[in-house]
Amino acid sequence: MFSPRGSDEVSPDATLMQRLLRRDVGAFEELYERHSRIVYSLVLRILRQGATAEEVVQDVFLQLWRNSAQYDLSRPFVPWLLTLARNRALDQLRLKSERQRRREEQTEEFPQIASAAPEYEKALDEKRRAERVRALIGSLPLAQKKAIELAYFEGLSHSEIAASLREPLGTVKSWIRSGLLRLKEGLRATS
Amino acid sequence: MNSNDQFRELIEAYAIGSLDASERAQVEAHLAIGCSDCDKALQEARWLVSQLAYLAPNAEPSDMLKGRLLQTVRAEAAGPWKQPEAVRQAGVPLWMWAGVAALLLFSAYSAWNEKQLRNAVANLRQQAEAQQAERQKLEQELHASRVQLHEAMIWSDPKSVKIMLRPKDPKMPQLEAMWHPEMGLVVRGWKVPSPGEKRMLQLWLIPKAGGKPMPSMTLWPDANGTFTAMVENPPDAMSDTQALAITEEPIGGSPQPTSAPMWVGGVT
Repeated sequence: MFSPRGSDEVSPDATLMQRLLRRDVGAFEELYERHSRIVYSLVLRILRQGATAEEVVQDVFLQLWRNSAQYDLSRPFVPWLLTLARNRALDQLRLKSERQRRREEQTEEFPQIASAAPEYEKALDEKRRAERVRALIGSLPLAQKKAIELAYFEGLSHSEIAASLREPLGTVKSWIRSGLLRLKEGLRATS
Repeated sequence: MNSNDQFRELIEAYAIGSLDASERAQVEAHLAIGCSDCDKALQEARWLVSQLAYLAPNAEPSDMLKGRLLQTVRAEAAGPWKQPEAVRQAGVPLWMWAGVAALLLFSAYSAWNEKQLRNAVANLRQQAEAQQAERQKLEQELHASRVQLHEAMIWSDPKSVKIMLRPKDPKMPQLEAMWHPEMGLVVRGWKVPSPGEKRMLQLWLIPKAGGKPMPSMTLWPDANGTFTAMVENPPDAMSDTQALAITEEPIGGSPQPTSAPMWVGGVT
């Protein structure tokens, strides 16, 4: 069931972001310690180049520091941070003009993310949820998993994925949707 | 399948960013009308998509990155508060405003400068025209002075020969001329009536040998009937000329007389 989180529940990240508004360097350091690994892992997976990945991670956290006032404290923090990092990393790719144009149209300086997290988010801590996500996606057929990875880590469109995998467009569309729905059902079942 | 179902099927792909342009535009148009069901589905899909980050192999950034970040953050925390970057990036960057301001200033200065230059050029042109008019006026006055001086010299020089031109009509005034062998011929008249319409007076030199009259200058009395005219190089020498005659001719003069002489004066 997807329902807004109660306003009285303030996550540790939201508390740190509140401190960041007061230019609390300690809060920034704590946020970095909590999330730099997953952010760096994601960006490195997309860019596959360590130095460039560190530059993007640096940009993401500096943006967090400098524009903390623009973050909506009621929104789930980690998904928002990961979306921001993914958008920045995909911007770096700039492999094809069409892909770049699509990314520029979709990418915002501060990305839109769920205004509230699903209830099942709380059922697992981050480490266990990560394991669950890997297990669920890992259980998909190889081509379907590859299609989802191309969409998420490469920023490819349905047409580009179909061309890359030499599969019908309709099949690719179905793979991506059904894979994400399976992930949702799997996370929900865990809660 | 209703329209919501149709768009709900696209929501996950929209959240991951894999829709092609046309489908993406359809979804955005649908979301723009405020479909709360699809908006809610999109929020969950975005959260779900963000979880795919955990598929990335675990990696750890270098300690140097943390060091650089903290150094920057501490320096900024100690310094004056700066406008958030996103705010500046969302609008027009400051340097661009500065560029626009500089461009506007330059444009304003250029327009002002151009106006100034135009005014200066117009003033210079007016001054040049005034100077040209003044020069022409001076040249005319100088020429008139030279003519007057020349006439005075002819009139006063002892070598000059005075010739009286008597009218055929006794009611007409007598004219006089002064001919210098080198300096030329001057003819004067007073109270001379104006010629008829489209007519003027013309001087002729009548040769001694009995040939055809030699045409010379044309004359036009002023409103008072006065005229003074000079010929620096008469068409014939004084020694070869028997008499001077004046006739009335069409405007522009004639190569040979078309009317009877009104004044005639013998050259002695």
